[in-house]
Amino acid sequence: MNKLADLLPGTLDLLVLKAVSLGPLHGYGVLLRIQQISKQFLQIEQGSLYPALYRLEHAGLIASEWGVSDNNRRAKFYRLTRSGQSRLRKETRQWALFSKAVGYALGALPEEV
Amino acid sequence: MLDRLKALARSLLQPRRLDDDTDDEMRFHIEQYRGDLVRNGVAVEEAERQARQEFGNISLTKEACREAEGLLMFDELVRNVNYAFRQLRRSPGFAAAVVLTLGLCIGLNTAVFSVIDAALLRPLPYPELQRLVEVRREMRRGGEFLSTGSQDGYAWEALKAAHSFRVAAMGGTSGVNLGVGKTSVYVQQQRVSAGYFRVLGVPLALGREFDDTEDRGGGANVVVLSNAIWRRVFDGDPSVVGRTILLRGEPYLVTGVTSETFHQRGRVDLWTPLRPSTNGEGGGLNYALVARLKSDATWAQAQTEAHTSGAAAFERRKIPSSVTARMILAPFEQANQASLRERLQILSAAVGVVLLIGCVNIASLMLARGSTRRREMGTRIALGGGPGSLVRQLTTEALVLGFVGGTAGLVLGYLAIEALQMVVGRYGVWQELRLDGIVLLVTALLSLSVSFLFGLAPALQAVHVDVREALVEGGGRGVAGGRSHRLRSILVLAEIALCQVLLVGAALLVHTLLHLQHLDPGFDATNVVTASASLQDARYSESENVNRLYHDSLDAIRKIPGVEAAAVGLHVPYQRWLNSPVRVRSGPESLESESGTSVNYVTPGYFSVLRIPVRAGRVFDDRDTEGSMPVAVINETFARKILKNQNALASYVVGGGEVTRRIVGIVSDVQQQPGLTGSGPITQEPALYVPATQFPSKAFRMAHTWFTPNWVVRAGSRRGEIARGIERAISSVDPLLPVASVRTMIEERDSALKSQRMNAWLLGSLAVLALSLAVVGVYGIVANSVVERTREFGIRMALGSSLRRIIWNAVTPGVLISIAGVVIGGLLAAGSVRLLTGLLYGVKPVDAPTFLATGGTLIVISALASLLPALGLMRLSPASVLRQD
Repeated sequence: MNKLADLLPGTLDLLVLKAVSLGPLHGYGVLLRIQQISKQFLQIEQGSLYPALYRLEHAGLIASEWGVSDNNRRAKFYRLTRSGQSRLRKETRQWALFSKAVGYALGALPEEV
Repeated sequence: MLDRLKALARSLLQPRRLDDDTDDEMRFHIEQYRGDLVRNGVAVEEAERQARQEFGNISLTKEACREAEGLLMFDELVRNVNYAFRQLRRSPGFAAAVVLTLGLCIGLNTAVFSVIDAALLRPLPYPELQRLVEVRREMRRGGEFLSTGSQDGYAWEALKAAHSFRVAAMGGTSGVNLGVGKTSVYVQQQRVSAGYFRVLGVPLALGREFDDTEDRGGGANVVVLSNAIWRRVFDGDPSVVGRTILLRGEPYLVTGVTSETFHQRGRVDLWTPLRPSTNGEGGGLNYALVARLKSDATWAQAQTEAHTSGAAAFERRKIPSSVTARMILAPFEQANQASLRERLQILSAAVGVVLLIGCVNIASLMLARGSTRRREMGTRIALGGGPGSLVRQLTTEALVLGFVGGTAGLVLGYLAIEALQMVVGRYGVWQELRLDGIVLLVTALLSLSVSFLFGLAPALQAVHVDVREALVEGGGRGVAGGRSHRLRSILVLAEIALCQVLLVGAALLVHTLLHLQHLDPGFDATNVVTASASLQDARYSESENVNRLYHDSLDAIRKIPGVEAAAVGLHVPYQRWLNSPVRVRSGPESLESESGTSVNYVTPGYFSVLRIPVRAGRVFDDRDTEGSMPVAVINETFARKILKNQNALASYVVGGGEVTRRIVGIVSDVQQQPGLTGSGPITQEPALYVPATQFPSKAFRMAHTWFTPNWVVRAGSRRGEIARGIERAISSVDPLLPVASVRTMIEERDSALKSQRMNAWLLGSLAVLALSLAVVGVYGIVANSVVERTREFGIRMALGSSLRRIIWNAVTPGVLISIAGVVIGGLLAAGSVRLLTGLLYGVKPVDAPTFLATGGTLIVISALASLLPALGLMRLSPASVLRQD
């Protein structure tokens, strides 16, 4: 289990947005999709996923709709809304900047200072 | 944003649905996961277990979801409100007491606030009110000071020429007959000078008001109709303007109709020109002057001009040099409300006190409830209810109570306003009472803040509950004492004290009313009916016509079955009489001296109809005719004050229309409204009676401008029939003469005492309300302490204490509190009753019997209220008490 990366606070929302941006998903699907696209490096605590979904829906970033799953079960599907798309773009840019900055900082050598 | 609103709306509108959905969603998740695990080779039971375990606690997750949606607080609110209603249903007595207390206090407050609003706060319905003024005169002689809005013709003439303001004069309002087809109706006419409506600033709806040529002696007869009478009598026909109508028996040209929005103090149906002058009516203070400042004039300029013009008027009137007189301008608004201000202040103070008592009551009820619920609070804290949720719960309860009580108050207030609307008009409040936005706001703020405060106090107290103490020692095991008990005792004591203040005030006003009602009337008021009609009429401008009307109508009235006797007089007792200067001579040779008296013309039989005792000499009979020697009858006060009891029957008096009359008799005094002395609502004044046959035409005309004469009829008790008979008899003599009103003498008396009646009723009902609230308070504190001390009493009885002693023990605190409250309240009352001084007659403000009687009543009633719950102890069985818990 120690090969798994711990989730930084606040990144779950971003990951959920990214996951549903690739196509409508039900909750369990979101979980699987995040694992898949993070190359199995990230594992989401199952209980914390749903509050995040409800929070994002409440904030109007994603929208939900009842549909039928692959195995013909009734399931609730989430998709990205227009404001969710712009939020995802913004957060992605910020994350890239942040991770680059942290990377620089951590990669700094004594003689460079 | 739109997405967000949609989501919120859905979650609020379908809470149950949402809950189920969340369940479904999570179950789906777990099943999918389990399926995947099974596919990966995990055994079915193990997969089920693992799926559930990894998902975690479903209900916690659900809660977190609801919190994420911002619904958690809403959930708690719904739960709290439900719980609050359940709690209140479980203690209906407590809930009813609080709701009723709040409802009465708030309802009453709303009603009285609306009266204050209509009388004092709401601006008069005239534009640019700040430029509208009343012209008053202030006179000072030695230590005496008089400020009056009454003015004479000299003031009018001097101020009419002012440059900085435009002035209009108003005369009195009197009943007149308006011809409609073949009959007449009795309407209210006010005489005003030209420019009246322009000065008030309300343009007429149709036509024009009078001009200066019409508003002077000998001017054309013109009239302005009120919008209401124009609609009622003339069906709102615009062509009435320019037509002639029959008013006061003469043709009058209608020049205009007022706008629908025009209102003024008192009911007025039409206006005719005042024609102000400096003689006759204008020689005395019979006008009121209203003025509007011109747009380019300042207050200071206007004030200075009023001052200098006023000085000229006083100069012409030859005011004695010992009197300093000054003409001043006062805001019209203020002058209009001055007469009501004092009474409304007392009234609102009283209402404030009742409200205070009500608040104290609720606070004490809430405290009592808080202390009986200590165990519940302790349990909830022990089970993990945080202080925040406890405070929220109790606040919700208080707010629910406040809301229900506030609603009840609003409904009560609305009903009270409906009822008051009809009453207040008779007492000088002429603007419509409205349950308007301000009143609503005040009521709502009041009810919410009051209930919030009370809700919070026990909540804070509850937070400090010592969990262990409440669970182990609380709940019926306490003994007398403790902080909340002291606080509640102080509250109830305050309640009793305030109640005593109100009771004393109300008792003094009731005492005043009873005193006035039982003043010796000076005549026999039983079985006498009076009917009045306006003779301010061109057909009755001559003495001969008036006397023929009286003679013929009295003949017809005497034929009505059941009528014993009938007569006519300008006035009857309990009315305000015509005042007139007279000169008296105690012998043919002696010097004349001038004084003021009230004057009444009467037909023969007037004294016997009213059974006014004759003290000396004779009264009038049919031999006193126009041609016979002029005579007069005086009352005892006239004989004492004006003739100094000297030789009255040999004296002469010049009065009742500048005629020298011989005094032939003295009759007993009757009660009348004062015009001269101004002492009290009814009193005994000097009175001069003259025969109607010897009253000059000019005097008739002047008297009938101000007063409507009265037919007085002594008859059996069938009042309705007699009244109809009188109306028929008068119309058989003159079909164009409408009877204005028919009243009994008792109604005349009540009308003279209406303001004392209103005082006594208003303050009396407030005091009764306060008393009932205080009784609830005392009952509550004793009942609560009985419940709390049940165990103590049980132990005492088991140890051999007698039942009587136990009951005595239970009752004592309530009685002691009420005695202390009465004493403190008595001291407070002694300090504050001087506010009432101006309203009291026949009783001194600090009246020992009144104080003792009200205090005694309060103590007895409190003792009874304490005894009631204590009697419940008679069923107490020591054994069962000791076995409890």
